[in-house]
Amino acid sequence: MTDAVLRPVPFDPEIAPIIEAMATEPQPAMTEETLPLMRGSDTAFPAADAALVARERGIEAEERRIPGPAGAPELELTLFRPVEHSAAASVPAIVNIHGGGMIVGHRSWEHARIADLVEELGVVGVNVEYRLAPEHPFPAGVDDNYTAVAWVAAHAAELGVDASRIVVMGGSAGGGFSAAVALMARDRGGPALAGQLLLCPMLDNTNTSVASRQYDGIGTWQREANLFAWRCVLGEELAGSPEAPAYAAPSRADDLSGLPPAFIEVGAAEMFRDEDVDYASRIWATGGQAELHVWQGGFHGFDMYAPEAEITKAALATRVSWLRRILGLAAPMGDNE
Amino acid sequence: MTGRGPAPVPYDSELEPGLAFFLDLVEQIPLRAETILANREHFATIIQPMSTQVGELPVEWEDRVIPGPEGAPDVAITIVRPAGSAGGAPRPAPGVLGIHGGGYVLGTRFFGTGELIDLALRYGTVGIAVEYRLAPEHPAPAQVEDCYAALEWFAANAVELGIDPDRIIVSGASAGGGLAAAVSLVARDRGGPALAGQLLNTPMIDDRNDTVSAHQYDGIGAWDRNNNDTGWNAMLGADRGTDRVSPHTAPARAADLGGLPPAFIEVGSAEVFRDEATDYALRIWAAGGRAELHVWSGAYHGFSGFSPDAIVSHAAISARDSWLRRVFAG
Repeated sequence: MTDAVLRPVPFDPEIAPIIEAMATEPQPAMTEETLPLMRGSDTAFPAADAALVARERGIEAEERRIPGPAGAPELELTLFRPVEHSAAASVPAIVNIHGGGMIVGHRSWEHARIADLVEELGVVGVNVEYRLAPEHPFPAGVDDNYTAVAWVAAHAAELGVDASRIVVMGGSAGGGFSAAVALMARDRGGPALAGQLLLCPMLDNTNTSVASRQYDGIGTWQREANLFAWRCVLGEELAGSPEAPAYAAPSRADDLSGLPPAFIEVGAAEMFRDEDVDYASRIWATGGQAELHVWQGGFHGFDMYAPEAEITKAALATRVSWLRRILGLAAPMGDNE
Repeated sequence: MTGRGPAPVPYDSELEPGLAFFLDLVEQIPLRAETILANREHFATIIQPMSTQVGELPVEWEDRVIPGPEGAPDVAITIVRPAGSAGGAPRPAPGVLGIHGGGYVLGTRFFGTGELIDLALRYGTVGIAVEYRLAPEHPAPAQVEDCYAALEWFAANAVELGIDPDRIIVSGASAGGGLAAAVSLVARDRGGPALAGQLLNTPMIDDRNDTVSAHQYDGIGAWDRNNNDTGWNAMLGADRGTDRVSPHTAPARAADLGGLPPAFIEVGSAEVFRDEATDYALRIWAAGGRAELHVWSGAYHGFSGFSPDAIVSHAAISARDSWLRRVFAG
């Protein structure tokens, strides 16, 4: 099959108008020159105030600074906790790593995503700030994220967290980082994670799948942006290389056994579809646990752009179901009745 | 858990009682060529008659005999609809062609009517359950031809049945899922009735039985690799595994998965059909087609029916409902 006849999977009719509206106001291509503009842009996901996000949900927020990786700056975290949560408690923790192609974004874009889970599940949420490429190429970002997860595990008692029930999660680049953190924790004998929640994760630097070619010039995260992002993270030489390190691009890992249970969600109409399905398939082939959901006609990050859509509601309910199973949290009375 | 193949994906512990129940109730007798008849007799004792399935529910049913494929016997069907809807509803109802499972060798249409009763109650659908001929007495393609004849009749009689011909889906589990996929291919290839969707619940679509998951569940679990061999041998005989196998019998063999109705594909991560179901979805997407795929962690073949109270089963049923809402809204 040649690119000339490669047809993309159509978008879900309920959310397609979002893409059509975006197409009428095209964004400039992602380049080193336009990156500052992209980072400053808050039209898609306005920067949220953590205290306000917490107040709206009846939970509490706290800003923390923790030591960074050896020789690197401190890290900023935002903690979200149920009210009157004390160190005597022992609840699960979910560490969220924000998206943005490893080159843009800020944790405040996703305060709502993690705060919603704190409100619904009574867990402690941790939202991590990490260094972005290209100013800070691999391994700066993943080292920051690993350090944050290790800090949560080491400070579980102080945080009122059950160290055996820590989940790492993220969307897009945050999903790629989450997968990488899970690999590092396995390889280094680090924190025993209870799960990895990977939302449309950015896993494969080679951009060779069918899906990666179907979304060339359409969608919320397009092929050119992805190619640029990987160049920023890995440099020209390794950007598309099968020799790239697995902690940068988890699809490069030879061995996917011995990992914490994975939840992998992706849209059928986006460029990460095939690499995400492949990651799940390779985990199963080792006898590992993974759950895979590919939502019909979903574009990249559909839940963030279309929070009220039918597929978003279904996807969010499915995530929460998995978290309850992994974390041993009972379903509320009347659920699904 | 020990089998003969590579290390399997473990089961969700909440599902293990349901799996044990399934094995005890449904798979008392390992399914081999020489035990097909004994298994049919056993199935006859566990499939409830319609009067029991419906009970006091506000659903009505009617048995009919419709023309079979050319040169073949007539086909028995059962129509399942909301009570009192036979005179026609304000808006024509969605239609569901329901195809039962049983490895192409077991079961009757009343093994699949539970789904049609449920959909009639919750979505107001009019369903028909098809009594297709079983292998090995009737090798492929008798099964898909009977089901396709039923689809043609269903679409041609839409007005009488009060269904919307633009909102007919085909649905089935296991061999029924395989036949639902096959009917969708036949309808495309013959320019037959337009389908609004194909609901493929843990579909049996690949006679080669040679994926990683097919080897992981060799000697363990519900509908293991050996049962699967039995079903495909009965369907295909000496043709099995050769290039003489038609995609209308084993849909995984189709070279072209473009131009098909939207697919909903559901499977457990801990069962034989995991990899063939996943691959089928991938190939539909590669052709620019619409498909939704759900692979439930630690789930065995048929988990949502036999462990209905487990959290994962609730989630699976909810996801299926979401897709049905989207398809029936169209």
